[in-house]
Amino acid sequence: MSSTSSASNHRLLRRHHHLPPPCPHLASYLSSRGLRPFRAIHRLLRLRPSGRASLRLDVPTCASCGGGSRRLYACLACAAVSCWDSGHAAAHAGSPGHEIAVDVDRAELFCCACRDQVYDPGFDAAVVLSVRSAVAVSSGSAPSKKRRQVEYRPWTPGTKERALVGEGSSPIGPHSPPPPAGLRGLNNLGNTCFMNSVLQALIHTPPLRNYFLSDRHNRFVCQRRRMKRYKSGGGGRGDNSRNEKKVCLACDLDAIFSAAFSGDRTPYSPASFLYSWWQHASNLASYEQQDAHEFFISMLDGIHEKVEHDQSKTQDQDLYNNHTNLLTGKGDCCIAHRVFSGILRSDVTCTVCGYTSTTYDPCVDISLDLDPSHRSTKTGSMKSRVSNGEVESMMAGQNHGMSTLMGCLDRFTRPERLGADQKFFCQQCQEKQESLKQMSIRKLPLVTCFHIKRFEHSSTRNMSRKVDRYLQFPFSLDMSRYLSSSVLRSRYGNRIFSFDEENDDHVAGADDDDPNASVEISSEFELFAVVTHTGKLDAGHYITYLRLNNQWYRCDDAWITHVNEDLVRAAQCYMMFYVQKMLYYKASESASAS
Amino acid sequence: MSNDDNSSPHSQLSSHVFENLLDSIIVDIASECHRISILGLDCNLEGEEEELRLSAQARRRVADSSNSGETNSKHVVDIFGQTHPAIANEIFECMNCGRSIMAGRFAPHLEKCMGKGRKARLKSTRSSTTQNRHSRGNPVSVYAPYSNRAANGTADEYANGSLEES
Repeated sequence: MSSTSSASNHRLLRRHHHLPPPCPHLASYLSSRGLRPFRAIHRLLRLRPSGRASLRLDVPTCASCGGGSRRLYACLACAAVSCWDSGHAAAHAGSPGHEIAVDVDRAELFCCACRDQVYDPGFDAAVVLSVRSAVAVSSGSAPSKKRRQVEYRPWTPGTKERALVGEGSSPIGPHSPPPPAGLRGLNNLGNTCFMNSVLQALIHTPPLRNYFLSDRHNRFVCQRRRMKRYKSGGGGRGDNSRNEKKVCLACDLDAIFSAAFSGDRTPYSPASFLYSWWQHASNLASYEQQDAHEFFISMLDGIHEKVEHDQSKTQDQDLYNNHTNLLTGKGDCCIAHRVFSGILRSDVTCTVCGYTSTTYDPCVDISLDLDPSHRSTKTGSMKSRVSNGEVESMMAGQNHGMSTLMGCLDRFTRPERLGADQKFFCQQCQEKQESLKQMSIRKLPLVTCFHIKRFEHSSTRNMSRKVDRYLQFPFSLDMSRYLSSSVLRSRYGNRIFSFDEENDDHVAGADDDDPNASVEISSEFELFAVVTHTGKLDAGHYITYLRLNNQWYRCDDAWITHVNEDLVRAAQCYMMFYVQKMLYYKASESASAS
Repeated sequence: MSNDDNSSPHSQLSSHVFENLLDSIIVDIASECHRISILGLDCNLEGEEEELRLSAQARRRVADSSNSGETNSKHVVDIFGQTHPAIANEIFECMNCGRSIMAGRFAPHLEKCMGKGRKARLKSTRSSTTQNRHSRGNPVSVYAPYSNRAANGTADEYANGSLEES
């Protein structure tokens, strides 16, 4: 290949990874070296026990002064090793073509002439590949699946469209806008605030609301169908003859949506929903108060339409099929999963040989623990903690001495050393070894529900208690650092590389050439509902705060009031609902008449 | 440390080694942060700081203001200009037995009507797998119902939300 096409290739790669253009010295080095200038580098790299790559040199010393191990750089042109502190590296860079060197300890490119660390995708790819080959991976990887891509094409209205809209619409009057659609109180039917609070959040979950308001589940049609099937003797085969065949939670939810958006503002009683739900979740059917999160899970399960057409399959087979579908497909089984289902990735790494075993699990929400220790409120202090043998610098999420949602997520995705009593069987070592476990999010759902585990149960003392500690949560949340791709990338020192998670034996070069190959699924989320719990463990109350048109409304059973966002920020959150930003519409603040 | 009076070869050597180590650690961190910064991996830092600031500010404001808004909200007028009684008084038909029931007393009625509830249940449903709930890497929660909550009193105490956890 000619050097011009390799130069354009590098430009594409750099742009794709948001890299600034290379310094002139790096640029001239790259162009003089052909298509893969760092092809031979991997032979010189070795993997340190810490997991970092460094240059393999027998005795790293400066060629000029024989000085020790402080900041040594190996020239890429002639392999001469020079130290930085005595100025030998800079002096060596005086010769043209010898400006670029490699940091011996860290395998980072350094331009001695510019006196700065520089970055190149090709170099990083070589480092990652050599690190990977150093950790022998057993064969038998999961069957590689072509990544599903949905092409998103942005669109803005042209002059013709604007004219059309202008002709067919009239501006809203100068008086204050009416309360948002769909806002309606829910009557408490007797200890049912746990249900009301979750229902309020779901009524205003954008994809769910759109689904039901688009008549995608018509309760009249569904009921007729169910009656027909019931009468024609659909029951009688194993589990399918349960009472629940007559019950359809989605139909009751459809009725609730219709009621909420009907324009009638008097409080609605979700009685038939309660009735249906108690038939579905008979073990939870009682007058006593339930846990809102438990209800949420149970309800999603109720909406989930089990695959019915093949009645020859057993319930276990159904579960297995559904599980596989959620992992590989789009989770198209039902609207509940299409909206809430995500995929979590769990990596267990053997501390002895480095072999990593990966498993995927679908999830409909993320349950997080509050941080265990009580920290004093030191505003603005930066602390570093030693945990799991690693020094952790205080991340932004833990400033101000507050517990934060991002802090919980940091902890959730942090590598955790499993204790000596939890040894994992390593495929490579063929024996149980101590291991490191790390969670990450492989696929983000459209709507992410965070559940804060505020209830501690002590099995030794046989008591439960509620943790009232305040947890900070943002209105806008960027989940990118918790994605499997980011976690994987940081494991390799944040190298520039397209880490293909489906198949860890990714070969660099193929996909890297096309910057459009990896479509970025948005990882930015906006908060739209918060379910809070106030009071004690056995005598408390749930309410929901809803964010509509960037205004906050407090939904306390039948009472809907408008509140300041400060109140929401300061509230004790229990469940938080975030929707992907591109599905979130922020209406303009003022409805102007022009 | 460099101006140590005991500048024996041993202490000089150990100082030298220590300084090398310290330097190495500093450059490690500098190198990592430099990479993160150049690749734009920390681009959202300002946004996060802003959220923290807003939350801290909100908490201060809410603590200062006398009207917290959380208490005694059952007697306010809602945004539609309505007031509601403490116990919902809408009347409708029970879909199980057909009787007319008041909304606020529907749940306790339904419980007896359907034959569910604590008195109707014959066996305890307490699950023994509680330790699984707090295993960190298992957010796919498997919930089992717990029935050990203390009695909530009469049906008049409708609004108490309690948590079913054990």
